[in-house]
Amino acid sequence: MTEGGIKRRGVVTSLGQGFLRSETTVAIVLFALLAGLPVVVSGYTIYILPQYLLYGMLAMSLGLLWGFVGILSFGQAAFFALGAYAMGLSETWGLGPNPAYVGLMASLVTGAVLAAAIGYFLFSVDVRHVYFVLVTLALSIMVEQITVSQSQVTGGYNGMYVPRMSLLTGASGALSLSKDAAIYYFILPVVATVYSLLRWVLARPFGKVLVGIRENEDRLIALGFRTPLYKTAAFAVSGAVAGLAGALYGTHANFVSPSLGGVLFSTQVVVWVAIGGRESLLGALLGAVAVSALSTYLSALIPNYWQLALGIVFIAVIIAFKGGVAGAVMRVAERSAGRKEHG
Amino acid sequence: MGELLRTDGLTKRFRGIVANDCIDFTIGLGEVRCIIGPNGAGKTTLISMISGHLSPSAGRIWFKNQEITTRSVVRRAKMGIARKFQTPSVFDRLTVHQNLELASFGKPMEVAERAVRLEEVLAITRLCEMRRTVASTLSHGQRQWLEIAMLLANRAELLLLDEPTAGMTAEETRATGNLIRMLASRHNLTVLIIEHDINFVRDLRAPVTVLHLGRVLTSGSLDEVAANEQVRDVYLGRE
Repeated sequence: MTEGGIKRRGVVTSLGQGFLRSETTVAIVLFALLAGLPVVVSGYTIYILPQYLLYGMLAMSLGLLWGFVGILSFGQAAFFALGAYAMGLSETWGLGPNPAYVGLMASLVTGAVLAAAIGYFLFSVDVRHVYFVLVTLALSIMVEQITVSQSQVTGGYNGMYVPRMSLLTGASGALSLSKDAAIYYFILPVVATVYSLLRWVLARPFGKVLVGIRENEDRLIALGFRTPLYKTAAFAVSGAVAGLAGALYGTHANFVSPSLGGVLFSTQVVVWVAIGGRESLLGALLGAVAVSALSTYLSALIPNYWQLALGIVFIAVIIAFKGGVAGAVMRVAERSAGRKEHG
Repeated sequence: MGELLRTDGLTKRFRGIVANDCIDFTIGLGEVRCIIGPNGAGKTTLISMISGHLSPSAGRIWFKNQEITTRSVVRRAKMGIARKFQTPSVFDRLTVHQNLELASFGKPMEVAERAVRLEEVLAITRLCEMRRTVASTLSHGQRQWLEIAMLLANRAELLLLDEPTAGMTAEETRATGNLIRMLASRHNLTVLIIEHDINFVRDLRAPVTVLHLGRVLTSGSLDEVAANEQVRDVYLGRE
């Protein structure tokens, strides 16, 4: 490689960090715009956007795992569905002074504990790559089957009604989130907070070790890192985020059914993240929002062919940019800045 | 010089092939030792058993007077045994500084202490100017140095270097020899090196252990082992 080549690549690095700064800027602008949106828009958009944002949160739970630790999971929908059922059951059983908070906590804990248990057993015996994918795939199938078969608790195929949560205890109506704008302004800050927390975690030594696992796990082991514990912790965080997203989704959609935990939905999550760009949490979030919105639009426009159209978009994005849209943006930014450096 | 590492009757069999046969080996604190021997002599097998990447079929290993025979790679690394792999194993997409920082997370350190240590390591390994360079774009020799630098950032006490000068230019090889001598003399590190380049071994002026067919043929200074008839027959004589 030529001198110039090395120098140019050298610039790329400092830009890798520069990209994170610009991602922060984009994220702040984006969340600010979303916060102002209900002022100018109302109706279906404001109703449906929180659901897309929760899909985005689910996508971030996978992005953390797949993009930063290098572990692909086809089981994210399972945690999402379990979170939604935890919310539904808490409301049904009327747990605590405000069942919604119990439901939210339960969804976090369920996701984290289940993921930690699965992760610990698999990672400590060094299950990697495709074998891990297969186990998570089985997890989705199991959750779907169990929610179908335990119909006396879950409502089986018919699903389960989940009421809209309210922020305070007491009679319904005490700061109820039944209005679309009200729950919009509850879910948006939660998603923004989860995004910020995940970014913060990734900037910590813990997050840097996760990236090291993605890059060269054997090197880390030989430097004295118990990588199975790191991977277990990352999977637990991912499970908790997915579970929380599910609980909020349940209370927003007023409904949870077994297909929410299924393989099909899990695959969709992978598609969102692949399109959005797995090495950027914002990319994963926007990938989910954009693809979901596009699905809704296309399914109204061309009811018979929309899935085909979406499939073509997916293939095109994957062929054109391996790192998804965020990866492509990153490269363009690096190239233009590299040119500036030289010119 | 206190004893840092000792092996006792260390043996490794792979399906009937004896790769290491009853190796008794000792290395003292702050010592530099080269292991030489023809291909298939069992050099990498020996290092792998010390690092924990292979478990011995028989025999025992002590490090800092503790038996480590059955301890995992991670536990040995935490005790201070660090290995440089034969082909440089670094974090390709991270910068030099990020590589070192990550390696340093392997041991508990204060933030300030870590910063000082990383600067020191960068200076020792002459990677200061490359700190922002992505590892994949470094030259082969620089990658070898980066991996050694990572072991230092990790606060290793026993460095196991598997052919550290492979693929290096003559100048880089000389500089590597100086680096290793300095690590031992000034930083009191213990270094065990597998090496093929006899000129490099001579420059190091370090004691040599010759392996042949999985056994220790002889040990001593390079001149002593070079004078050994058996060594000339199996190894050096062919040059």
